Amino acid sequence: MMIDIKDLCITFGSGHNQIHAVKNASLSVPEGESYGLVGESGSGKSTILRAMVGINAQITGSIIVDGQALESKRTVASRKHMQMVFQDPYGSLHPRKTVNDTLSEPLVIHKLGDRDDRIIRILNEVGLGPEFRFRYPHQLSGGQRQRVAIARALILEPRVILLDEPTSALDVSVQAEILNLLSALRKTHKLTYIMVSHDLAVVGHLCSKIAVMNRGEIIEEMTEEQMRSGKVKHDYTRQLWTASHGYSREALENFKEFA
Amino acid sequence: MSDTSIKQDSGLVAWLLADFPQNAFQARCQRAYIGWLSFKTNPIAMLGLIIVAFLCLVALFAPWIAGGDGNTQELSNRLQPPSMEHWFGTDELGRDVFARIVWGSRVTLYIIFLVSIIVMPIGLIVGTASGLLGGVFDKILMRITDIFLAFPRLILALAFVAVLGPGLENAVLAIALTTWSPYARLARAETLTLRSSEYIMAAEIMGASRIRILFAHIMPMCLSSTIVRLTLDMAGIILTAAGLGFLGLGAQPPLAEWGAMIATGRDFLLDQWWVPTIPGIAILIVSLGFNLLGDGLRDVLDPRNSGGH
Amino acid sequence: MNDIARPDFAPASPNEAPLVSVKDLHVRFSTPKGPVHAVRGVSFDLGRERLGIVGESGSGKSQTGRALLRLTAGNGTIEANNMTFDGMDLMQASEKTMQSIRGSRISMIMQDPKYSLNPVMTVGAQIAESCRRHEAISKKDAKQRSLAMLETVRIREPEKVYNLYPHQVSGGMGQRIMIAMMLITNPQVMIADEPTSALDVTVQMQVLALLDDMVRERGMGLVLISHDLHLVSSFCDRVLVMYGGRIMETLDAKRLDQAQHPYTKGLLNCLPRLDGSHDDLPVLKRDPAWLTEGEAIGERSL
Repeated sequence: MMIDIKDLCITFGSGHNQIHAVKNASLSVPEGESYGLVGESGSGKSTILRAMVGINAQITGSIIVDGQALESKRTVASRKHMQMVFQDPYGSLHPRKTVNDTLSEPLVIHKLGDRDDRIIRILNEVGLGPEFRFRYPHQLSGGQRQRVAIARALILEPRVILLDEPTSALDVSVQAEILNLLSALRKTHKLTYIMVSHDLAVVGHLCSKIAVMNRGEIIEEMTEEQMRSGKVKHDYTRQLWTASHGYSREALENFKEFA
Repeated sequence: MSDTSIKQDSGLVAWLLADFPQNAFQARCQRAYIGWLSFKTNPIAMLGLIIVAFLCLVALFAPWIAGGDGNTQELSNRLQPPSMEHWFGTDELGRDVFARIVWGSRVTLYIIFLVSIIVMPIGLIVGTASGLLGGVFDKILMRITDIFLAFPRLILALAFVAVLGPGLENAVLAIALTTWSPYARLARAETLTLRSSEYIMAAEIMGASRIRILFAHIMPMCLSSTIVRLTLDMAGIILTAAGLGFLGLGAQPPLAEWGAMIATGRDFLLDQWWVPTIPGIAILIVSLGFNLLGDGLRDVLDPRNSGGH
Repeated sequence: MNDIARPDFAPASPNEAPLVSVKDLHVRFSTPKGPVHAVRGVSFDLGRERLGIVGESGSGKSQTGRALLRLTAGNGTIEANNMTFDGMDLMQASEKTMQSIRGSRISMIMQDPKYSLNPVMTVGAQIAESCRRHEAISKKDAKQRSLAMLETVRIREPEKVYNLYPHQVSGGMGQRIMIAMMLITNPQVMIADEPTSALDVTVQMQVLALLDDMVRERGMGLVLISHDLHLVSSFCDRVLVMYGGRIMETLDAKRLDQAQHPYTKGLLNCLPRLDGSHDDLPVLKRDPAWLTEGEAIGERSL
């Protein structure tokens, strides 16, 4: 298994006001596969991703990536293997840095040479020509910015890429391009993905296995067949599946409150 | 506009407006140029820029504009009204007021320069470090900031003068040490907002050290507001230096500092108005210039405007 | 200001005049970078139905909604051959008349209740204020009506929610409060600009059901502006597809699969489906000819 998470619990705050954002989450992802995490807001899906990159400190349970258990204090070298792509293409790039600056920074931090070559190569891979190299983020469209974000994640040649709603803020036509790009990159570089989204169709398209989360717990894991047929075990999953097919008054009558 | 001038312009302008910059230098020049175009559309800001530029030019070319050093006394010629020979008249020691104004511009620029290079780095570093690192470090730094904020400028200047002796540099130091605190607070407030940005998170995930995040990511974002704030404060700084000079704590005679000129000339306000008034007008114009420039810069440099959607 | 008598609400009949009629609407903005032509000759009618306007960012859909209420930003100009609401010419109406229409006869709800609700007033007070702005009723009556409205939008414990501040309510509830605020004056037309985009998918359904009820029970006309073609087609009666400021196609929502325009078809095709296929999604190829099209397909066939 490339990624193995067991009994992960993530809390915020302490004492009386402690919030249990994630409760006993366990999942495993084989190498080269794409795993989806789906849920509504507050379900804890993004919190798991952030814990994987070491952003939230209060965790119990184990996270093992590529055979290495992840501690709360990360070394610089360990950062190379796992990178993240964020939701908001407008917020995830530094507004004062050109594309070149943004892409060369990880190379400088990890002391990798041949910077020019690597940057030009990666820009090509994500579908941006070298002419975009010296533009600032505000001179790029949403889709182009997201490509730069993907390039930044990819330039360190990681094994795992975490995708936090990478296409939610994009137009539908641009979303299709980015999803195709992510799919192609995974196959070419044998990457392992964990993708978080609230959109079941997007996750279903890219991922082979999907975990459904509600209020911090993983309720159910769906296979591709279950995605297609909707034959799922848990009521909440069924509700989510039905709602993803569009507005339906009859279906709504059967909805329950799970919040 | 003739055709040839359009063609001549198009080379540089085309380079500055090209869609796809070829290198980092071009990208940065383009950014500055677009900022300049935006700045140009604001006539009031342009006025401020012209005034400040004028000040710099006068200071630079002082020896050629005024000749001498502004300290040539001619006691037989004292307190003469403005005339063809002495454009701004003469003061109580027979010195040419115009020459002293011109030489005084160098002193004004010196004050501005000294204050800026002390206040900006200290304010920025203290503020951003405090905001980024948080915890005990933040608390300690902010308390130090509060202490300096609480100091009345005049008392501190007096203390410095008592210890180090009177002089322009000591007065400037006193001003700088009581001015940096608000900049630290400003930088800290901005850092607190920026700290949770996704690009900072991305840098952390990449393995960037805190120092790198502080200097390469956060500081560039705080720089603009600090520059704007400093420009707007400049008027106050000049006036404070003038005030200290007025009290005899700053520039010492015979240095041609505008504030000191008002101080020594105030006895003559009623009958020989030009002696204290003209330096006063000079201070007014320069302060105004900096204020207008600062306003214009804020419109251009505000990160919210320049593409941070 | 409600000196114009409002018609009784009865189910729409096919021969009824449309509530809103727009012909050849243009919205232009003057920006430092040059003029921007956001809406280029849009025409449509709205009856007592659910009309969806779908488009990607920059298609002009939001600007169309705003133009109906003449809420375009300061540097914009609205031009139309005809823009009538219930017999009134909206292009010629004075600002005073427009103010009396906005919020009382034509209402608008927007995407994020976080940004549309006043953060320093309780939500109940805001609903009551909306009520009192358009009718001369006492504070007590306004409060009663507001509480009744909160119940209508299916908020449990309306008394409790009345005294909450916007930051204390969830996204879904905030949107319901917005709807309450906009419906309390019994408008004839409601414009909803991406009302559910910031909400979870099950909450989206609930909010849409609410709007659905309002349309049915009150005979309201609803314009639903969204980028979500799937959602709009499953909820609305008719759909307008916009691109580059123009309407590319007008469709019956149930007949979306029979779309003719390549843009509509391309948009439908590039949506990922819940059928588990992992093939590459067909990418939308934008034909520059679409930006200069004359008549839109679909209007001819209606």
